[in-house]
Amino acid sequence: MPSHETLRLEHPERCIGCYNCVFACSLELFNVVSATRTAVSIKPCSPSDRFVVTFCTTCDDPPCIKACKPKALQKDKDGKLKLTAPSECEKCETFDCAEACIAGALWIDPETNKPILCTLCGECAKVCPHEVITFKEKK
Amino acid sequence: MSKILDKVLYVDLGECKYEIAEQPELFDRFLGGSGLAIELLLKECPEGIDPYAPENPVILAPGPLGGLFPSAGKTVATFKSPITGNLGESHAGGRLASCLRLAGYGALVIKNSAATPTFLEITDGEVVFRDASPLKGFSSLEVERRLRGCAAVARLQSVISIGAAGENRVAYACANVDRYNYFGRLGLGAVLGSKNLKVISIVGSGSIMVPDPKFYKKTFRRLYAEEIETDKMAKYHFTGTPANVLVLNEIKALPTKNFQKGTFECAEALSGENLGEKWVERKVSCPLCPTGCMHIAKIRQPFASGYEYEPLDVYHNYESIYALGSNLCIRTSEEVLKLIHKANIYGIDTMLLGNVLGWATEAFENGLINQQHTAGLAPKWGDTETYLAIIDNIVSASNEFYAKLAEGVEKAAEAYGGQDFAIALGGNGPAGYHTGYASVLGTIVGARHSHNNNGGYDIDQKMLHQNLNQSHVVSELIKENEWRYVLTSLVICLFARRIYNEKNVVEALKAVGIERSVKELQKLGRQIYARAFEFKFREGFDFNKVKVPRRLFESLTSNGKIDEAVFRDMLKEYVKAEFDSALQGQKSSKPA
Repeated sequence: MPSHETLRLEHPERCIGCYNCVFACSLELFNVVSATRTAVSIKPCSPSDRFVVTFCTTCDDPPCIKACKPKALQKDKDGKLKLTAPSECEKCETFDCAEACIAGALWIDPETNKPILCTLCGECAKVCPHEVITFKEKK
Repeated sequence: MSKILDKVLYVDLGECKYEIAEQPELFDRFLGGSGLAIELLLKECPEGIDPYAPENPVILAPGPLGGLFPSAGKTVATFKSPITGNLGESHAGGRLASCLRLAGYGALVIKNSAATPTFLEITDGEVVFRDASPLKGFSSLEVERRLRGCAAVARLQSVISIGAAGENRVAYACANVDRYNYFGRLGLGAVLGSKNLKVISIVGSGSIMVPDPKFYKKTFRRLYAEEIETDKMAKYHFTGTPANVLVLNEIKALPTKNFQKGTFECAEALSGENLGEKWVERKVSCPLCPTGCMHIAKIRQPFASGYEYEPLDVYHNYESIYALGSNLCIRTSEEVLKLIHKANIYGIDTMLLGNVLGWATEAFENGLINQQHTAGLAPKWGDTETYLAIIDNIVSASNEFYAKLAEGVEKAAEAYGGQDFAIALGGNGPAGYHTGYASVLGTIVGARHSHNNNGGYDIDQKMLHQNLNQSHVVSELIKENEWRYVLTSLVICLFARRIYNEKNVVEALKAVGIERSVKELQKLGRQIYARAFEFKFREGFDFNKVKVPRRLFESLTSNGKIDEAVFRDMLKEYVKAEFDSALQGQKSSKPA
């Protein structure tokens, strides 16, 4: 996977709520089909509103990292979030990291109790029919 | 984690109890969807009960491909129908199938009635019975506005609810699923109303495992590509089903003026193309479907002087446009959208409603009913405002006449006359395809009296300008009735039926760990059709007593007039071929 590519919320208004991104991600990360064990979420907040698509956009100075007291969460050289000390993370259980992201783009895997981290594989973008999510070179 | 479908959630509304039962052998035999839901209905529905009796069960079943493949995520509901007094089978899209599966269930069986309005809240393995009194009278839209919270964690939620029509037992009330989808046919809304079940929410936060993720992904991507790279779903993608308006008008099959004619001079205005240009604001899809067939129109309705507008968000499809548009001679797209919106807000099957309003207009013209019946209203072709007022009266059953209209078109004609133009087949309102013999015959011989049972209208359209080959039509209908029960047991969206051919069905099933040959599937389809009719015969269905309104023999179809004697002959041939050997338990060979 080339390191210079990144996920972008390109055309959020075009989402039709097909959930292909959500399920493609769960399959890639956990080999299952799930709307919970995934790093992409779609929320139909109100029935007459648009769908809200959420995933980690790898911000420059991530508040989740700052909030992580055990310092288990780090950013690698490609800009991806990484759990560098999984055992420390497991002990923490405050979920401060998830709380810190006001975009709501980080959440906890109910099976492992650890945050689900986007691996920037781009599978979600591949199955998006309307370029809501794109996987392109970082500008 | 749920690997295959094997669990049934039984909910008792009377006792506020629930039970989860593992029934792997049932799923192994019937796969899911229609097959499973019909089987459970045979088991759970006592013979001869009133459709509004607490004993009438409501069964919801997704299929083995639900939540896993594109355009394969519908859910089947079975119950005893208050319209036909017989098999109720209705299908809906939305997020329901995915949610049921992610919550770990292959079926939901709702038994008994609640004493007070109830909100059934299912979150994975937990079921809570809550008081829904504060939601009484609310439309499904309003119910969802209150229940669909913006969850802090990623999760999938599906909401099924009824509007005022279901609460008041309008026999053709529907149940809404996730705002834009409906269990539209055969009166599920009224049955839920009789159970005092206002709303069901299902949250599934589990996972579905597949035996070989690599093979699954490969198969998924191939079918996904077939869906977006070929023209097989193009109609549904670009215009949605309203694309049919002009096509059917062209071949004189667009039911107009209560099936008096097959063409409408304002077809252009009601066309999917015109609606798309003028009103469509966005599209919505079911999980895993990149097509997004649901085209949502946004219209604004002025309600006071100045710039005061009520914004209306209208999901519309071909059947609603025919039934509440050309069938009633409504001349503009805006008016037909307003009528559809009214039906959606109350939660009524637009198709049967159109048949009821068409009958009422003719009955009024012919003097069978007058303004004393209608409380001063004068139904007239094309008069949207009067039709809107009539719908209000039907839902509130404001007098004896409107209470009769709420029972359906056949019951209304039995009470007031005009059976010749009371358009229903097997008790159900037909679809908007006045194409010829196969369409009418197909609706009658389909177990749920729906055009989706066998696509008779498709067979008619392939025979345009050709001489009728009776035996060919009969054998095609038999084949279709059986294969469609395979598709609706999986549960494929029938818009994707050209993608889910025999080869792709076998492969998709393999990817979820189910090995079946085409022959085995065909045999299963035959068994399910036979089981559906076992229920129907048990509940008194008789092919000799099926009514066909005279109108359908008098008006022109795409293939000319339907000759009653020829039609009866074909029906006899069908029944003989399909049932004679079955009844003797020897049914094995089928026409190719």
